[in-house]
Amino acid sequence: MPSDLVAEAIDVGRVFGANGSEVVALQHATCRIQRGDRIALVGPSGSGKSTLLHLLAALDEPTTGTITWPALGERGTLRPSKISFVFQTESLLAPLTVLENIEVPRLLAGSNANEARNDASEILGALDLGALADKLPEEISGGQAQRAAVARSLITRPALILADEPTGQLDHHTAAHLLDLLLRRLEGSDTALVIATHDPVVAGRMKIQWTMDHGVLR
Amino acid sequence: MSAVTTWLSGLVRRRYGRMLPAVLGVSLTIALLAILGIFINASAATMTRRALGDVPVDWQIQLTPSANVDSIQQQLNKSARVRTVDPVGYADVSGFMAKSGGATLGSTTQTTGEGKVLGITPSYWKDFPAQLRPMLGTTEGILIAQQTAANLHVSVGDTVSIKRIGLPPVKARIDGVVDLPQADALFQAVGVPPGAAPQAPPDNVLVVPIAIWHQWFDQQAVVRTGTVHTQLHVRLDHTLPPDPRDAYVYVQQLANNFEARVAGSAIVADNLAARLDAVREDALYARVLFLFLGLPGAILAIILTFAVSATGGDRRRREQSLLRVRGATTSMILRLESLEAIVVSAAAVIIALVITVVIINRMVTIPLATRQTVVVLVIALAIGIGTALAAVIIPAWREARESSVRAGRARVGRDQAPFWERTWIDLILLAIAGLVYWRTAAAGYQIVLAPEGVAATSVSYESFLAPLALWIGVGLLVTRIFRHGLAGGRAFIANLFRPLAGGLSPIVAASVSRQARLITRGVVLVTLAFSFAVSTAVFNTTYNVQSRVDAALTNGSDVTITGTTAYPAGPLADSIAKLPGVRAVQAMMHRFAYVGNDLQDLYGVNALTIGEATDLSNAFFASNDAAGTMQKLAAQPDGALLSQETVNDFQLKLGDVINLRLQNAKDHQYHPVPFHFIGVVREFSTAPKDSFILANAGYVASQTGDTAREVVLIRGNVPPAQLAKSVEPLAATLPGARVTDLGSVLKTISSSLTAVDLHGLTWIELSFAILLIAGASGLVLGLGLIERRRDFALLAAMGAKARQLGAFLWTEGLIILISGMALGFVTGFAIAKMLVKVLTGVFDPAPQALAIPWVYLIVLIVAGCLSTALAIVIAQRVAQRRAVETLRTI
Repeated sequence: MPSDLVAEAIDVGRVFGANGSEVVALQHATCRIQRGDRIALVGPSGSGKSTLLHLLAALDEPTTGTITWPALGERGTLRPSKISFVFQTESLLAPLTVLENIEVPRLLAGSNANEARNDASEILGALDLGALADKLPEEISGGQAQRAAVARSLITRPALILADEPTGQLDHHTAAHLLDLLLRRLEGSDTALVIATHDPVVAGRMKIQWTMDHGVLR
Repeated sequence: MSAVTTWLSGLVRRRYGRMLPAVLGVSLTIALLAILGIFINASAATMTRRALGDVPVDWQIQLTPSANVDSIQQQLNKSARVRTVDPVGYADVSGFMAKSGGATLGSTTQTTGEGKVLGITPSYWKDFPAQLRPMLGTTEGILIAQQTAANLHVSVGDTVSIKRIGLPPVKARIDGVVDLPQADALFQAVGVPPGAAPQAPPDNVLVVPIAIWHQWFDQQAVVRTGTVHTQLHVRLDHTLPPDPRDAYVYVQQLANNFEARVAGSAIVADNLAARLDAVREDALYARVLFLFLGLPGAILAIILTFAVSATGGDRRRREQSLLRVRGATTSMILRLESLEAIVVSAAAVIIALVITVVIINRMVTIPLATRQTVVVLVIALAIGIGTALAAVIIPAWREARESSVRAGRARVGRDQAPFWERTWIDLILLAIAGLVYWRTAAAGYQIVLAPEGVAATSVSYESFLAPLALWIGVGLLVTRIFRHGLAGGRAFIANLFRPLAGGLSPIVAASVSRQARLITRGVVLVTLAFSFAVSTAVFNTTYNVQSRVDAALTNGSDVTITGTTAYPAGPLADSIAKLPGVRAVQAMMHRFAYVGNDLQDLYGVNALTIGEATDLSNAFFASNDAAGTMQKLAAQPDGALLSQETVNDFQLKLGDVINLRLQNAKDHQYHPVPFHFIGVVREFSTAPKDSFILANAGYVASQTGDTAREVVLIRGNVPPAQLAKSVEPLAATLPGARVTDLGSVLKTISSSLTAVDLHGLTWIELSFAILLIAGASGLVLGLGLIERRRDFALLAAMGAKARQLGAFLWTEGLIILISGMALGFVTGFAIAKMLVKVLTGVFDPAPQALAIPWVYLIVLIVAGCLSTALAIVIAQRVAQRRAVETLRTI
């Protein structure tokens, strides 16, 4: 029977720098993410939220402790099919249109070009981005770009989406709209969602709240 | 701390990596310009120095009979810095007579025609060592020219009767036999206008001590005015302007000054100016050559600097956006950006000076004129610093004018066609290149004019336009084609790179297509860099090959023995043929013949076998068929091949009979000999560049009564120097015979232009070309990729595997490298072909085909491939290993 445990961190620590200028970004963090979880990771800037998300996304490696993905498999097989990441800043590939940007993870995962195009178009429609399909990233607004980034995170139907303050640079109304779209899209799916945020409104819409302060997860 | 010092400190401590490529680009520009300029000056100085070394007597001042020698010498010292002056007496005589053979054999009396008796001082040998060459006996007393000795059948110890004009003959006992290697100059007609037909030197000459000469001829000067005169032979101080053109003008002015001072009492035969005059054209050609070959490199280095600087556009936009957000004005932004330009300039100047000093010290052996070197350096530094300032400040100023922070982030864009593209300037430039090339060709490729005896010189610099316009035109045309081709050819690119990119090929093609501007920039730079390297290498190789051909033409064969009229080398031919290492031997006549009043060299050959020992290129003959022409000559015993100039001057048609005057062995007088004009010859082994005659040796022998063949051409299976050594003992048995080999002639070839060693410049240029190719393919690509490292980091963060990331990087890299390389090779060969044609005057003879430096071309390809691969691998590693860090910091 497949495991429901998407990711598990045990006593994880991450230290940057060396030779006397070390910065402890994360210490003794232990957490578990189950299928279908909706988790808000809250805490002030610099508390270690991004570091934890990077580690959970296998974008970085811990200095101490272990991270495993029992339901997903080995570290090298996680992205782009099983884990998606939404960055805080604009993260679309500049030379590609919005539609092409959304196709990329599917193509990286080895999907057929036509399937990728159809799925990307469907998601664009679902996230009210159909009109922007042929626009270049530099031709759309910051909010639209972030919606496109969210759409891209959905295209591979991952088991885990890690979003690093996806609404951090958006106004309240746009942020709320983006979150609505994301949650609506994930309704009924067992995709786990972890959103790092210091916006209590965003955090309030998640079932589980994790708090971080000075590199410590509570 | 002010904003300026904070910015400066940040630049130096944290952003040195991004300034380094610009520093290298500017350093290359400065160093290339400085080295080029110094080389031009050094080559001109070398030419002047060699020209001065070639002149046996700088001035021959002919005094009028009434002139006071002391007064003339005083004026001479006032006009010029004189190192040595020797008076030389010239006396015409009716002839010489000698008796030869003992009483038992029956004595015979030989009489010559008119002759000359020279009177020289005891120090003349030391002061003007190139004038006389001892052959037999002593160097003091009564000396006889070797040809005169042969005519009179006399040697050391014999007595010669000198038939003075208007006076009884005098007798003299011969103390030595000498050769007069510079007889043409020694006996030149002083005071004739430049360009007048040369006068044949006398066949009969006696050289006597000046005191004896006075005893014999002072009285003749009284009884027959005009048959005796005195010359002052002068060696000047050779501290002259380094450039042959300036030196020529300077020396001519000195002579004018002297002639004005002596007011008609003396006329100067200015051998020094005449020699410098002959070198001026070569000096101009050398300058043109260096500019043609070197300037594109400097221009390319400037373009590369701009391209390198442009790759920092993203970073600059972000910085300026941040500065604007924090309230910085445009002028403040520009001030801060200027700091980067200043730092780049300062570092580049130091590096460039070090490179220049190191290379110049290794390559240039001649002392350099300080003022000229300083001027060259100042110009190079000004251009380099100007490039640094422009490359940094112009893009910064353009960015600063962007209206918003958002606009400042724009990178890919769907911009409109630039001005040059809308106005078809690329095609206009190509048309100009064709037109100028056609005009230069129509003018007989005469791009340098230095008329003999005229101070003014001119260079048809507009001829530069042909290769330059071709180069720029190709660059712009490639830009046009690739911008549109990449933007519109997405499907083609996707299909082409499917084997590399697999399922990602549509996305990779889309990425390439939208970055057409950036990729096109890379293609154009690589095209220009390869075209520069290829054209320079091909031209230089062709030039070097032609120098060897020139040397082979000058020397005649691998080894040549040049005998004298008295002791021709021909009889040695059979013995030489038996020596080890000898492949072929051919003896050849070298005589002189009058064509009208024009004295020309005449070569008598065995037309069917001469090719065994010397090169006979088709280009040597107007028919463009060496074998056919020589067969034609062999079939017509009285046939003669003449130069085009002779054919034009005498309005000859094929088959015409032309009477040449040749010296007959019986009376040593010139008599008409009929020849049939059967073809035009342009070049021939050992023949001069201008007019000469090629005829059958058998016919010449039968008509002149003299079968002697003065020259022996030897072709060997061993290196020429080794062959020369084995031949020398045989040649030593002939008094006055000279043995020359191909290698030594290549070093001391008479044409001063080919004597200018291009190897040093070639080495520098070709090294710079490799650096420029590495810069254009690797550096610009690498910087472009690093500039876009956020995109690659995003791809890595999304989960792109190394192979997938590589598909994006390699597609761009291969488009740039393969397209640039292919176009660069085609353009390079076209430019080389054009340069060889435009610079026809540089070559003697003109090459039949381009010589291709295969090894260097392979090195270029390897350099381009390696630098591209290196750039891609580095970009790939940066993107994969430091994706999160990159995404955080950008």
